[in-house]
Amino acid sequence: MKPIIVPTTDVNSETAIVTAWHVLDRSLVEAGDNVAEVETSKSVLDVAAPEAGYLLRCAEVGEEIVLAKPLAYLFASVGELDDHAARLADAAAEKASSSNGGVRATAPAIQRAAELGVDMASLRAGGLVTVKVVEAAAGERTEVPPPPDLPTPLPAPSGVQRIALIGAGLGATQVIDILAPDASRRAVAIVDDDQDRWAGQVAGIPIVGGTRQLTEHYAEDRFDAAVVAIGSSVPARTRFRELCGDLGIPLVNAIDPSAKIAAEVEFGAGNVVCAFCHFGVGTRVGDNNFLSAYNSFDHHSVLGTDIATGPGCMTSGLVRIGDRARLGTGIFVEPHVEIGAGVQVASGAVIVSSVPAEHAVKRRVATMAVVPIRRGG
Amino acid sequence: MIYARALGDALRHALEADPRVVLLGEDILDPYGGAFKVTRGLSTDFPTRVRATPVSEGAIAGVSAGLALAGFRPIAEIMFGDFLGLCFDQIVNHIAKYGPMYNGATTCPVVIRTPSGGGRAYGPTHSQSLEKHFLGVPNLRVVAASRWHDPAGLFEDFLAGDAPVLHIEHKLLYPLQIETGNGADLGEFAEGGGEDALPTVSIRFVPREECSLTVVAYGYQAELSRRVLERLAIEQELFAELLVPAQLSPIDWGPLERSVTVTGSLLTVEEGTGGWSWGTEVAARLGARLFGCLRRAPSVLASANGVIPGAPDREAEMLVGERQIEDAVMEAAA
Repeated sequence: MKPIIVPTTDVNSETAIVTAWHVLDRSLVEAGDNVAEVETSKSVLDVAAPEAGYLLRCAEVGEEIVLAKPLAYLFASVGELDDHAARLADAAAEKASSSNGGVRATAPAIQRAAELGVDMASLRAGGLVTVKVVEAAAGERTEVPPPPDLPTPLPAPSGVQRIALIGAGLGATQVIDILAPDASRRAVAIVDDDQDRWAGQVAGIPIVGGTRQLTEHYAEDRFDAAVVAIGSSVPARTRFRELCGDLGIPLVNAIDPSAKIAAEVEFGAGNVVCAFCHFGVGTRVGDNNFLSAYNSFDHHSVLGTDIATGPGCMTSGLVRIGDRARLGTGIFVEPHVEIGAGVQVASGAVIVSSVPAEHAVKRRVATMAVVPIRRGG
Repeated sequence: MIYARALGDALRHALEADPRVVLLGEDILDPYGGAFKVTRGLSTDFPTRVRATPVSEGAIAGVSAGLALAGFRPIAEIMFGDFLGLCFDQIVNHIAKYGPMYNGATTCPVVIRTPSGGGRAYGPTHSQSLEKHFLGVPNLRVVAASRWHDPAGLFEDFLAGDAPVLHIEHKLLYPLQIETGNGADLGEFAEGGGEDALPTVSIRFVPREECSLTVVAYGYQAELSRRVLERLAIEQELFAELLVPAQLSPIDWGPLERSVTVTGSLLTVEEGTGGWSWGTEVAARLGARLFGCLRRAPSVLASANGVIPGAPDREAEMLVGERQIEDAVMEAAA
């Protein structure tokens, strides 16, 4: 086997384009025959066979070759040529099979796919496959199998309502504290989508897994109702309320015993009410709101669903707050004001007129000047 | 098709489409066809309109100016960009000035093409990237070739307008394949640009929202940047958006601003010497306009401020290469 290298002294070109073949593939050529024409960036070169033999092309017309590599090989016999061609075909097949079925993926994505058992060939062709794409595909197909040693929900005496908390963050500590004095109810489990938290615990309550475990344990009658214990994210509250609705899991209220609830107040389900809140006469509260400490909604106010507030939000009477409103800390609202759905209100705002839906109330925060204490001389 | 051939075809098309077009330069006639073979074949087919000149860059620029004032459309080749110094007065004080000086009553639409840049160990006098000295000259367009800008489209644009153009062609681009349209190996590939601006090409492998850096580069440095970004994307999932503008001056700011606003970090890459450069201008302008969007000060990568050595390894130390780009990307994407 003798390689045919393009003879050139052109230092400006590393590659060349094959512009013509003068002999057929696998044909017998004589030494000195012009076999091909290639074009570098500088000139068109004729390529001659260095010796006689059967010629196997490495590139076709129009293809680019690297000048340091062979343009073709010459073989003493057709049999030798066929052997070499077969080896090349095998190597090409192996390369194709090892390159993830033609899908172009990042190294981290290939590793992640192996961890999650995702077949790279099943992913969309075109575009770069990233970890994000692999994980999305894994999520669509099936959830990751849980580690075998996840804890199960705590038991409770019969007649005690067993409550699962959704979200293992600091909101869970508040809900657990609210439920603690209530002998008729007990927090028995926490679920969280963050796998790093699984098998841990919050205030002695085990984190039993994620959404999948929520479904399984409810199906196996290991808890009776759920509370979304997430205070910081309105979209997360909405999502888990809808999820529980889809799964048929009832949401229950968790109301701190220190709250003052006046006559004719109506509550929906799934509300978290922290310490020292006040609900004036005739106030109506929707579902799945997270109301922090020292909130006061005076008489005949109306709250929607999926609202989250910081501590110290105070309304006069006859105020309406729409779904998904997000209130900061220390907000005062004048009578008859309507705060629309999805409104976000900055801490410390005093709201004197209604706010249309999906708007933000900003406030120029009067910042403090922090200076070193002057030591008297 | 390799860039040198595509550029030759663009010049051929210009000669065919407009009888006012003339080509002039040193040794551009067949059979030699120019030092980089760009004009090969053209003098045979257009013998009266493709003209060899004496070895005088000042004369090439001056004759081009005269031809343009007389109604021709000269496209001049300066054999090496290093010799642009000999044309500087003609370009800055004459060619670029006539139009505004006579309030448009006359125009001087000269196109000057020149190879630039190092990487071939041609030494201190045939390796420089001097285009930064022409940036910001009033009424002069400075345009850089890249693998992703079809030269035919660019030259059509030059000949449709009256502004003088300095067209910079990095000599390492000549043997590279051009990629116009949606290149298969490029990931996402989009062209931006305003109505009157030349396209700024965007190359990225994931949506812009997932990119943590905008890299702005032109010419051959854009190709080096692409290689680095592709490698970092595949190996580490470090994603950046590469923007490749065709026109260096004046700059079309829109595509740059739209990207940096999202990615929050900017790196400019150029082969010319550092300081008082294209990159410092881009960084200063975007740094001021997008101050609130940037999570760190813009980074400017340029070659060391020195004379380019002739020895290949010494040259590689001085000029911006893939290693320097990778280091700068890692820092700016953090």
